[in-house]
Amino acid sequence: MIVRLAFSAIAVGLFLLAPHALRDYQLFQLCLIAATAVIVLGLVVVTGMAGQISLAQSAFVALGSYSSAILADKCHIPLWAGIPVSAVVAAFVGFALGQATLRVAGHYLALATLAFTAIVQLILIHADHLTGGAAGMPVPGFAIGSLVLSKAGQLYYVVVPAVAAVFVMVANLLRSRFGRMLAAIRQSETAAASVGIDVLRCKAMAFAASAFLGALGGGLLAPLTSYLDPAQFGIIQAISLLAMAVIGGLRSPVGAVLGSAIFILLPDVLQHFQTYLGLVFALLLCVSIIVRPDGLASLRVNPGRSR
Amino acid sequence: MSPPVLTIDDVSVRFGGILALNSVSITVGAGAIHAIIGPNGAGKSTLINTITGIYAPSSGRIEFLGRRIDGRPAQEIARRGIGRTFQNTELFGELTAIENVMVGLSRHINYGITEGALHFGRFARSEMRARNDAMAYLAFVELADEAQSIAANLPFGKQRRLELARALATQPRLLLLDEPAAGLRPAEIAGLNEILLGLRTQQKLTIVVIDHVMALVMAISDRISVLDFGNKIAEGTPDEVRASPEVVKAYFGEGRAYAGGV
Repeated sequence: MIVRLAFSAIAVGLFLLAPHALRDYQLFQLCLIAATAVIVLGLVVVTGMAGQISLAQSAFVALGSYSSAILADKCHIPLWAGIPVSAVVAAFVGFALGQATLRVAGHYLALATLAFTAIVQLILIHADHLTGGAAGMPVPGFAIGSLVLSKAGQLYYVVVPAVAAVFVMVANLLRSRFGRMLAAIRQSETAAASVGIDVLRCKAMAFAASAFLGALGGGLLAPLTSYLDPAQFGIIQAISLLAMAVIGGLRSPVGAVLGSAIFILLPDVLQHFQTYLGLVFALLLCVSIIVRPDGLASLRVNPGRSR
Repeated sequence: MSPPVLTIDDVSVRFGGILALNSVSITVGAGAIHAIIGPNGAGKSTLINTITGIYAPSSGRIEFLGRRIDGRPAQEIARRGIGRTFQNTELFGELTAIENVMVGLSRHINYGITEGALHFGRFARSEMRARNDAMAYLAFVELADEAQSIAANLPFGKQRRLELARALATQPRLLLLDEPAAGLRPAEIAGLNEILLGLRTQQKLTIVVIDHVMALVMAISDRISVLDFGNKIAEGTPDEVRASPEVVKAYFGEGRAYAGGV
């Protein structure tokens, strides 16, 4: 308990200190990492915990980004309200998609979710009047009342606490009966059903959670990047997100943060290798799968089993 | 006589051209230990998998506590009060022993998703009670010392007992055990006998045991049904079954020497 309080105090201290110590661009990167980590956290839940491979995550990110931007643009619903609403809608879509596709597993599930991503991207391109089509659309500013947060230094105070709260809640859920049920399903669906767990429903719920987190992260990313281009929400991005989860650690919320941080910071470190960035990530993925299949998160000392 | 707990009525199961069960009828009385025995390939596991909803019968009906369960999904049948173990053990291998049992308790833990996300409200007390209950089940099968062991790392005999604890944690009215003695040493089988007799007399649990290990079945069963090639060929008390010529034939083949031990 005291350890936990100390950790929280340090976290709050760092949070308040960062805007004074870091440049605006670094805060921007911090926000990018935070928003991306929420998206990857969705994959930790559905793929890492429930064991269901998903290539639909960039479609849910698109749902969150586009619908919150469209709600702000056409209906004048501010982003702070539109983002959670979009995330809830995405959760229902995820649940329905789960009910429809989760009867199949493995390769077939990967293909079905891949198809979903392709379909959503096509809709984004062809629904010109709503989404701006292939040219994309600008994202309205993140407004709270009359105050518009336009700089990363301002968005930081919204994005980082929101993400931290989401992480605490998801980590708590994973250390509750719900987390145990997902772990049970991953390991033996037959045995899970034999103790009365509704396997299909649980998997669909995990899918809904991943959709919620994907859309939430997408909604938070939108005001940061300030422009939406359908090319950002394709199959390549879905695979990249999965790669982040694998490199960071599929079984741990911490892994989502580590994986996202690497994918966002590495391009800066390797500025002179821009052309070979794809190759670097591919190699990173291979090395991580071979050397540390449980991801970077498994490097830390296990801080006492869940209790 | 009290109404039966489980009624299997004229059940056939067909896989393509193979008739795995042929018009089998078995009635299991309340509070009984009922054994279903037969040589390999007799249809014993098919029967247990049909009762628990992994397969649906091609014809016939199965009633549990007066309600039809044939063709219902496995989790629904489990929720109505049928617990089971598996022939080759189906544990949640990466979880600890106590977590395995706590998964079995899942339906009896009553906090909701918000309480789980915020770890408040009923969460702490509920988890604490689940942990204590799980420990009690582990102690019952004499695995209290292994509570924090990863299930996959336990020796086979302990895995079997852990599976039993997990099934008991669902608080079933009927317990189905699929070859619980397979792979156990004689001393372990004696221990299992004690546990099963205790469950019947102290907790009034109805138990169906599928097995071909006679030492277990003959010692504890109230009734025995014998399957061979998907047909029920005999039924009765252990003594009646032991004396039945059909059973001797099915087990030892015609003309083979009576090997004793049955």
